Amino acid sequence: MAERVERLTNLLALLLETSEPLSLVEIAGELRGQYPEKESARRGAFERDKAALREMGVPIEQEVVVGGPYAGSTKYWIDRARYELDDLRLEPDEMRALQVAVAATRTGSDLGQEAMWKLGSGVIDREPAVVATMPSLPGLPLLRDAIARRATVEFVYRDVDRTVEPYGLLLRDGFWYLVGFDHTRGERRTFRVDRIEGRITMGDGEQFEHPDGLNLRTVLPDDPKMLGPDGDTAEAIVRVDAVRAPAVVRELGADRLVDTNPNGDVDVRVPCANREAFRSWVLGLMEHAEVRSPADVRADIVEWLEREAAG
Amino acid sequence: MSRVHRGAEERLRRLLVMLPWLMERGEVPLAEVAERFRLTEGEVAADLELVAMCGLPPFVDELIDIFIDEGTVFVGVPRLFTRPLRLNSTEAFELLAAGRAAMELPGADPAGPLGRGLAKLAAALGGDAGADSGFGEGLDVDLERPEATDRVADAARRLERLRITYWSASRDESTERVITPRQVYADRGNWYVTATDHRTETLRTFRLDRIESLEPTGELGEPTDEPLPEPGQWFLDGGMPRVTLRLAPAARWVIETYPVDDVGEPDDDGWVIARLPVASDRWLERVLVRLGDRAEVVEPARLAELGRAAASRILARYRDAS
Repeated sequence: MAERVERLTNLLALLLETSEPLSLVEIAGELRGQYPEKESARRGAFERDKAALREMGVPIEQEVVVGGPYAGSTKYWIDRARYELDDLRLEPDEMRALQVAVAATRTGSDLGQEAMWKLGSGVIDREPAVVATMPSLPGLPLLRDAIARRATVEFVYRDVDRTVEPYGLLLRDGFWYLVGFDHTRGERRTFRVDRIEGRITMGDGEQFEHPDGLNLRTVLPDDPKMLGPDGDTAEAIVRVDAVRAPAVVRELGADRLVDTNPNGDVDVRVPCANREAFRSWVLGLMEHAEVRSPADVRADIVEWLEREAAG
Repeated sequence: MSRVHRGAEERLRRLLVMLPWLMERGEVPLAEVAERFRLTEGEVAADLELVAMCGLPPFVDELIDIFIDEGTVFVGVPRLFTRPLRLNSTEAFELLAAGRAAMELPGADPAGPLGRGLAKLAAALGGDAGADSGFGEGLDVDLERPEATDRVADAARRLERLRITYWSASRDESTERVITPRQVYADRGNWYVTATDHRTETLRTFRLDRIESLEPTGELGEPTDEPLPEPGQWFLDGGMPRVTLRLAPAARWVIETYPVDDVGEPDDDGWVIARLPVASDRWLERVLVRLGDRAEVVEPARLAELGRAAASRILARYRDAS
């Protein structure tokens, strides 16, 4: 029997070339000697080939014959217009820029490079001066599709079945977030994609409109310390030692600097609406930071430390 | 000749991008084909000979008119596979995400070729809603970077030596050193530079937000043949000590933020056991103080006291002040 690559190539060629849909019996007849004789084995081998081609992105069409001697049997073909890549008319410098982008991002897979080969580009061997690693998650391509097609998605999140109109995906701080309208809760929500449990299913397209002018970056506050209940804008004054002061002022912004002491220590205003995130931030500075006010926020930190010190 | 056994799917996928390109060129040195598609010449030759034998009756052997002679690939009349297969959804995602990320990297020009290329790509991949759906806004990457990043990235491109003041988390002190930046990278929300540290002449990784100050030395560094570590893979170093922690559900961020060797199944209360590399005692005590009673050190016993001691030290500061 022929090598599997040969059979796959012939099957692909046959389905692209045929002028009318073909049944499995007809396909096996054309590819003489390449599929097993026995019907169940033949069906099994063909299903594996079909799945492999679809996995690659080959759009295999199928229809069930109604009436006539072949009623009930399935016929297959490939629509060449749906198979072939549209010419994006990329200029050489645009192609080059995309190639550099692929080389500069590490996702743990070669799929970006595969895509560039399809677009007609080669590889870049030089190690780029700047790169970013990006987590690769199985649900992401489907979510992107659903956003583009305006299709509703369903998945389980925090043990609850959700029906969501997906608006956009944002990568921030190493995590992918999905922003969308959660029908289960009746409001706009943000989901961590890596925390979606199990499979995501996608419904029909054109089910909703994307909100006008939605900016993913502002939907998701970039400082978790600000994520308090109901627009709480509480702030604390924190004293930071000179050794960590420059980094802290850079992080918070100069407008949050309240005072600089002669020894280089600084007092800064820090959002503390989200007490958890605030505590984590202050304690991350270890003995180089101290909450000065308000009293209840300071007491909260002291109580936490006393419990930890007592073990 | 071949490195590992290549599956039928992988070989066909590669052929489907190779054939349209070859048909356009007509005549290409075998070595060039191999280099472009990251294969050995033997692999290219084997795959091309195989497709040359493909065919459908009555045109058996005539489907793809291709042959190799004296190290050159020749293509006859192109008929099938003249255009590449469209991008599948995973490739489309990878490409768009890479493009959006690259747009965030130091030195990117939104009005430049990358911006234009991405716009064409987004329009072609926008689904039936087309480009008007605002799809470009449907996928975004936010790689906010510390002030020093652009300057250090520029130095990495030009192999420029820098003098930096660096706050070392593991020693809790600032030191001055001279480095030649090799590669700047973003990983898990932080920015780093892999650089030659001229005190020891070895490659080291520095976090960019911990560079307190930097100035050029006016000298250029030497190019290095030493392979750069894969970004974010430093923890694979087997010599680094390990700690086993028991973590409450509210402490899960530790597993998501830091590299872990392995994580067990949650118990009835949702606690998990996880094993992590310990970059330094200083790092671990900071993690433990932030976790409080949501984490327990299972082993080694030596590290169990770290969190308690650190909490007492910080507490002393509050008691002195009040």
